[in-house]
Amino acid sequence: MNAEVLVLGTSAVLLAIGATGALIRRNPIAMLMSIELMLNAANLLLVLGARVRGNVDGQAAALIVLVLAAAEAVIGLGVALALFRDRARADIDEPSEVAG
Amino acid sequence: MSDVLLWAFLFTLPGLLLTALGIGKRPGAASQGGPPVIFVVALIALLTGANAELHVAGWLPFLPDGAFHLRVDPLSALMLAVVGGVSTCVYIFSLGYMDPKVEGDGNVRRFFCLLDFFVASMSILVLAGNLAVLLVGWTCVGISSFLLISFWNDKAGTLSAGMQALAANAIGDAALLVALVLVPAGCGDLVTLGSTACIAGPGGATLLALLILIAASAKSAQGPLYFWLPSAMAGPTPVSALIHAATMVAAGVYLLARTHTLIAAAPSIAATTAIIGVLTAVIGGILSLMQGNFKRGLAYSTVSQLGYMFAAVGFGAPFAAMFHLVTHASFKAMLFLTAGVVIHALHGREKLSDMGGLRKDLPGAYAAFMIGSLALIGIPMFSGAFSKDLILEAAQGHDPLPPLLWLGLFGGVFLTGMYTGRLFFGVFHGPKKYHGPIHQPAGVMLWPLVPLAIGAVLLGYLEWPVPLLSRVLGGTVGPAEAVHFPSVMGLAAGALGLVGFGIAGWRPAAQPVRATAPVAAHHDGHGDHYVEDLEPGVGWADWAAEQGYGLANAVAGVQSGHLSRYIFISVLGVAAILLLTLAGSTVGVSQTITGPR
Repeated sequence: MNAEVLVLGTSAVLLAIGATGALIRRNPIAMLMSIELMLNAANLLLVLGARVRGNVDGQAAALIVLVLAAAEAVIGLGVALALFRDRARADIDEPSEVAG
Repeated sequence: MSDVLLWAFLFTLPGLLLTALGIGKRPGAASQGGPPVIFVVALIALLTGANAELHVAGWLPFLPDGAFHLRVDPLSALMLAVVGGVSTCVYIFSLGYMDPKVEGDGNVRRFFCLLDFFVASMSILVLAGNLAVLLVGWTCVGISSFLLISFWNDKAGTLSAGMQALAANAIGDAALLVALVLVPAGCGDLVTLGSTACIAGPGGATLLALLILIAASAKSAQGPLYFWLPSAMAGPTPVSALIHAATMVAAGVYLLARTHTLIAAAPSIAATTAIIGVLTAVIGGILSLMQGNFKRGLAYSTVSQLGYMFAAVGFGAPFAAMFHLVTHASFKAMLFLTAGVVIHALHGREKLSDMGGLRKDLPGAYAAFMIGSLALIGIPMFSGAFSKDLILEAAQGHDPLPPLLWLGLFGGVFLTGMYTGRLFFGVFHGPKKYHGPIHQPAGVMLWPLVPLAIGAVLLGYLEWPVPLLSRVLGGTVGPAEAVHFPSVMGLAAGALGLVGFGIAGWRPAAQPVRATAPVAAHHDGHGDHYVEDLEPGVGWADWAAEQGYGLANAVAGVQSGHLSRYIFISVLGVAAILLLTLAGSTVGVSQTITGPR
């Protein structure tokens, strides 16, 4: 098994763990962490692609994804914090009454 | 001047800006300049052979024909002259009718801004060279119509009346939109819509003509889509005169005249147009006899007269339709403005039961209404007679359609005489029913009636004894039939109308009045607008609305607010996309992504 396949497998496993977490957890913080996992899985793939092709486009894209993840975490944590303040129990499905 | 006329839709914008910014001592005074300029430029262009085009390709690149295409030809110049002329009179009239002391400065400014917006939209509609531009103007006049109907938004019923207009117009807009998508590439030009290359699309000429007919019927309140026009009378009377009598509601007829080659290419749709027109002309006339409200009586008369124009297009005489449009614009705008004088004099009372014996108190309005009535009925020598006779002759000479249609139009003249007489004698003759102080109209409200009255008498002579109008229009609305005057049928129709008029004057009490109880009546300065039920025969609109609500609720259920469900659906979607992508290739990573759930 060479290094590329190993990274590919890691990325796939990370994505699966992240998706599962986002689906089965109800706690907003845990869901945010799962989403970060999925983003990192994508990042791994991007960096791997850059290495295989021998150019830096993929690495640049990975940097952008990192920034996006940071921004998303800020907003997500803000929403989660507001939810914690508003309700005793932070269940992501509880405030479904805000549906438009 | 044709090149200048291309930009007619910008002429009212300076006035709009100045009025909106509050410049000008008297609210609305700054807006007065736009319409006369349109009128004069359009007239000069018409007389010097209007011919100019503006074509900017690729304006809406996602459409088969998305060019920004404006066209000035004799037909659009004539229509713009009508729009400019009538709106000039209505603007001046509004200076007196919309009193800043009663309405408030801001509201009067808003009123004139909306009028300016309407005239600009109407100019775009008239100048449109292709379907894409037409749709812009078509929608904008609908919006300004809604805004002006609901102008007194604190009065009960005005908002609902505006919504009815908006709903009916939306049907027409949708039909135009479908037509816009359906036409083959490079075929949006309104003049060549009927050419062989353009009717090669799916559905052919029949489908395209049907969509145009639906759009025109919605705008001109024809057939089952008539219901919004009487309700639109909730708006201020100058609006009724300008938008809902003379110009916007005539846009449907204008569109049909503009696309007459397409209508001619689809004989079944032409026959449908004629039948809808005749039915609406007759039923509108009957319903006018049953109205208890002065303006609604006039509104049904407009519905009926627009029916005549539709019938003329259906009978293959678009020139007669345009001729009647021009004469009708003049005398109907004057009738509405006269109604405005009467309503103003009675401190906002609109009901016929409050009126009567006003001829001594309002001699100017009396004279104007009499001239307008005679033109509307089609008494020989007045303008309405020439144009209506042309329509009746076209109906008579049309072979494939049963003579019953001609009979309907001919009998409609009797109804016209009767409902006009009912309004005329009911308002100006008979016993006085209102004994309070009469609010005498200012000169600024009476002077605009003069040019309209002159038009009501003289516009018919554009076509007789010398066919000036058809010569100026050239071939833009097809060949024009010569006006025969005096003719047996013309005199007979005039006599029939006069008999109806006389019966109405002889037995004023015998007129039926539709008994709808006013829900909320206001007598406080401007208008007693009462909510009435939807017009008879529009249950289908309710049904369609209910189905729409049901569908919307079903779709809205998807939006549950449960985040985990959203994520689950997203993951399923991503998985499906991945699987589809991988179906062709042999990279074996699909297992990992479809893992959860």
